Amino acid sequence: MDIIVLTKRVPVTQEEELKIAQDGKSVDLSRVPFRMNDWDNYAVEEAVRLCEKQGGVITGVSIGDMESDEVLRRAIAMGAKDGCLIESQTVVNDPFTRALLLKGFIEKENIPFNMIFGGVQAEDDQFGVTCGILAAMLGLPFASMVIGIDDIQKDTVILRRELEGGIQERISIKTPCVLSIQSGINEPRYVSIMGIRKASKVERRYFKAEKYLDEGAGGLIDVTRWFYPPKKEGAVILQGELDDTCRQLIGILKEKGVLQ
Amino acid sequence: MSYTLIISEVRRGIFEERNLDSIGLAHMLKKSVYILLPDGQYPVNERWSDVLIKTDMKEEMFSMPKNICLFIEKVIDRFKMPDEIILTHSSSGTECASYIAGYFKLPVITDVNGMDKDAKTFYKSYYSDKVYGEFSVTGQRPVVITVRSGAFRGYMEERADSPKQEIIEGVSPDSDRAFIEFVEEEKTEIDITKAEFLVSVGRGVGNKDELPAYDELTGILNATLSCSRPVVDKMWLPKARQVGQSGKTVRPKVYLAMGISGAFQHITGMKDSECIIAVNKDPEAPIFQYAHYGIVGDMNKVRDKLKELLKG
Amino acid sequence: MQEQAASRVLVCIQCGKCTGGCPESGRTPFNIRMLVRKRQFKYAIEEALPWYCTACNACTLRCPRDVKPSEIIIEIRASMVEDGNIPVTIQKALESTFVQKNPWGKPRSKRGDWAEKLNFKVPHISETEHKRLLFSCCIHAYDPRCMVIPVNVATLLNKAGYEFGILGEEECCCGNEIRRIGELGLFEELMEENIANFKEYGVQEIIALSPHCMNTMKNEYGDMGIKVVHYTEVLWSLIKEGALKTEKPLEGGIIYHDPCFLGKQNKVFEPPRDILKSLNSVDVHEFARSRDISLCCEGGGGRMFFDVEVPYQRNGEIRVTDAQKAGAHTIATACPFCLMNLEDPAKEKGIFVKDISEILMEVL
Repeated sequence: MDIIVLTKRVPVTQEEELKIAQDGKSVDLSRVPFRMNDWDNYAVEEAVRLCEKQGGVITGVSIGDMESDEVLRRAIAMGAKDGCLIESQTVVNDPFTRALLLKGFIEKENIPFNMIFGGVQAEDDQFGVTCGILAAMLGLPFASMVIGIDDIQKDTVILRRELEGGIQERISIKTPCVLSIQSGINEPRYVSIMGIRKASKVERRYFKAEKYLDEGAGGLIDVTRWFYPPKKEGAVILQGELDDTCRQLIGILKEKGVLQ
Repeated sequence: MSYTLIISEVRRGIFEERNLDSIGLAHMLKKSVYILLPDGQYPVNERWSDVLIKTDMKEEMFSMPKNICLFIEKVIDRFKMPDEIILTHSSSGTECASYIAGYFKLPVITDVNGMDKDAKTFYKSYYSDKVYGEFSVTGQRPVVITVRSGAFRGYMEERADSPKQEIIEGVSPDSDRAFIEFVEEEKTEIDITKAEFLVSVGRGVGNKDELPAYDELTGILNATLSCSRPVVDKMWLPKARQVGQSGKTVRPKVYLAMGISGAFQHITGMKDSECIIAVNKDPEAPIFQYAHYGIVGDMNKVRDKLKELLKG
Repeated sequence: MQEQAASRVLVCIQCGKCTGGCPESGRTPFNIRMLVRKRQFKYAIEEALPWYCTACNACTLRCPRDVKPSEIIIEIRASMVEDGNIPVTIQKALESTFVQKNPWGKPRSKRGDWAEKLNFKVPHISETEHKRLLFSCCIHAYDPRCMVIPVNVATLLNKAGYEFGILGEEECCCGNEIRRIGELGLFEELMEENIANFKEYGVQEIIALSPHCMNTMKNEYGDMGIKVVHYTEVLWSLIKEGALKTEKPLEGGIIYHDPCFLGKQNKVFEPPRDILKSLNSVDVHEFARSRDISLCCEGGGGRMFFDVEVPYQRNGEIRVTDAQKAGAHTIATACPFCLMNLEDPAKEKGIFVKDISEILMEVL
């Protein structure tokens, strides 16, 4: 049960006030700390648990600059055997290009796998599609939003996908396959600083992104500019008598889809 | 003839409301709207589209990524390439969108929440929704788009005529993936982190006797009851229901905070909720800075009025 | 290190003085004497137990054989940390500290923002002559309730003409709680980063706002050649010298609560009391359990990030009841954790909890 886990180093932006350059061409991330994408934590943890039970080798793969080595160290500290960094100096914004890179890398370098795990989405771009595109390119079956892996048989996996409204769907999928893992599937273990230091002693392998992209394979979408979303002014206080405000509240609940 | 193809989402016999955003975007693009639908009997307003393409595959298998791709191949065969392929930004919608993009080598942009006024570029949020990116399509069309819920509803326009009806039959479902069953989440142990709708009570509830009425309210709302730390400290509710720094971190669709002042240890546990509604007697309560909507008033009175309005 | 730990445990004669002084014994399943016993025989220890410890150090202070039970708790926690077997809320606090250098996960870039509330500019430590560093606790920097404390102290120091500077966003968590949680690797990293900053800017004196920060920097950072004091010590000398004058009278009914990290652990009992007594016509009540035997508020030892499963009557409530019985209407304290832990139960009984700096600001 060999598993490739895709990991990404992302900026932590939940509480930051981000500054956009005057010309709208870039966002200032210089004072923002980075860490492993939250969803990828769950993916690595799930892979580690499966391999602890069934045996097999986990390979962590990441696309990014040299700093992305940090997430590979973390993956190794959690239980991955190997870490591979596909070094790219420029940020690859287009998920299509990322998937193309990964396909090229996995095929050229012959990385063995029964399954490829990734997180449902990355905290920074919130696209959520790289795993699916990669699956289709590799001609493999795909399932996203995996919230539970119930059983692994010889060439089939029984798993549950998270749907809306608190229900899940149970499906069977043939291996090899690509799965994107949803947060909450497990509780990722804590990795101590000393654990990460130990993991640093495991050699990670470095590759150059240019090797896996064909000439002229550009992105299919491009960011023309960045801008701020319309401002939120604190709570909209509902006005009127109790009857009024409660009716408005019910309206909001219906609009959000939690009340029929 | 340029057209926009919408892949609809039908689940458990319901044409999901999210589809309306796909339709809204398609209408904004001002092209012919073709909607691809699974087999089955379910109510759908036909006037939203120009062409209804019915298939003979049941909804559970229809919604699987490879099968959608097989259907799209047939659609392209018959109707040529669409300019856009639109899906909902949802569990199945985004799953299919990604696979379609890889299968046909198409540009894809997900969670689109707006377009520029000339309908040439698409807006999408980045970095915890702090920044919007304006995206242009540089690759060859069609472009695959998933639409954020609620983003384009205002653009819907009913057609004057009934749509043209088309049928695609004879597609064998992909054998690599199969639907087994739907699973309701078990409610054996209280796990507030899985709830979509939380009604959270704080110190303002006053005393233990007021709580059963909140149980009734959450029953009517199909919501889950949670609370802030003082309520647990007083042993009025079990620790499993506590939201906050030393309790659980939750991200529900709706967080209705009643009688919670907004102490920072509590906010930490729920600030990423999609929609925060606060009810508090104190108009200066810090919670109103984090909430999207608020009611200044007595939480128990609001509770009773909600029950009255919903029961009736 | 393992050898030392083993010999300390074996030296224990099970006299029970530790449990006798422990704020958790009796009302929770935590029994430090028994835990040391289990360590002596290498028995398994129930997972939840080590997390009850509030790191008040009463056990270590009372022990006649220098077993240092509070260090043994840290060792037990450290091995649980390495196993990754720790409560989820503690895990989150540690991960936040790793990324943002504070356990609340708030942006590091905003650490110095409290200084913007002042009507004068606070210089960066590098820009000062005397190199006195005002060091704020993470909770001071980010919690709205506690943010008044650095603002107050800065105002008071400024009024007294006492030069000081801050690190702003270069400041990172002191690591006191991190060490007590058992994440020794992370503690080392925090300590190294802070010390590197102190050296780079030639810091001569550190004025710590929180007794926790003072404790670790004074006792656990090694010999930095830097004087480390708590802000009440500084303010008291300024009042004594006459550099800081108070004018308005303050009403009576104040009772002082000794924070564990300031009082019993570092023996700073008098300056806060002296400050209060110097205020016109203030009679300062004393708790029956005061000074060395002050009742721990249960905020330390990682307890701010962790709640035990079984609720029980908190020491905070007991303290408030004692304050009422003594006829006081305000509890004064000098630690932000004590402040947070006492204020909740105090609010319900109509008692106020104020930091020394808040009381001083009222009488300026």
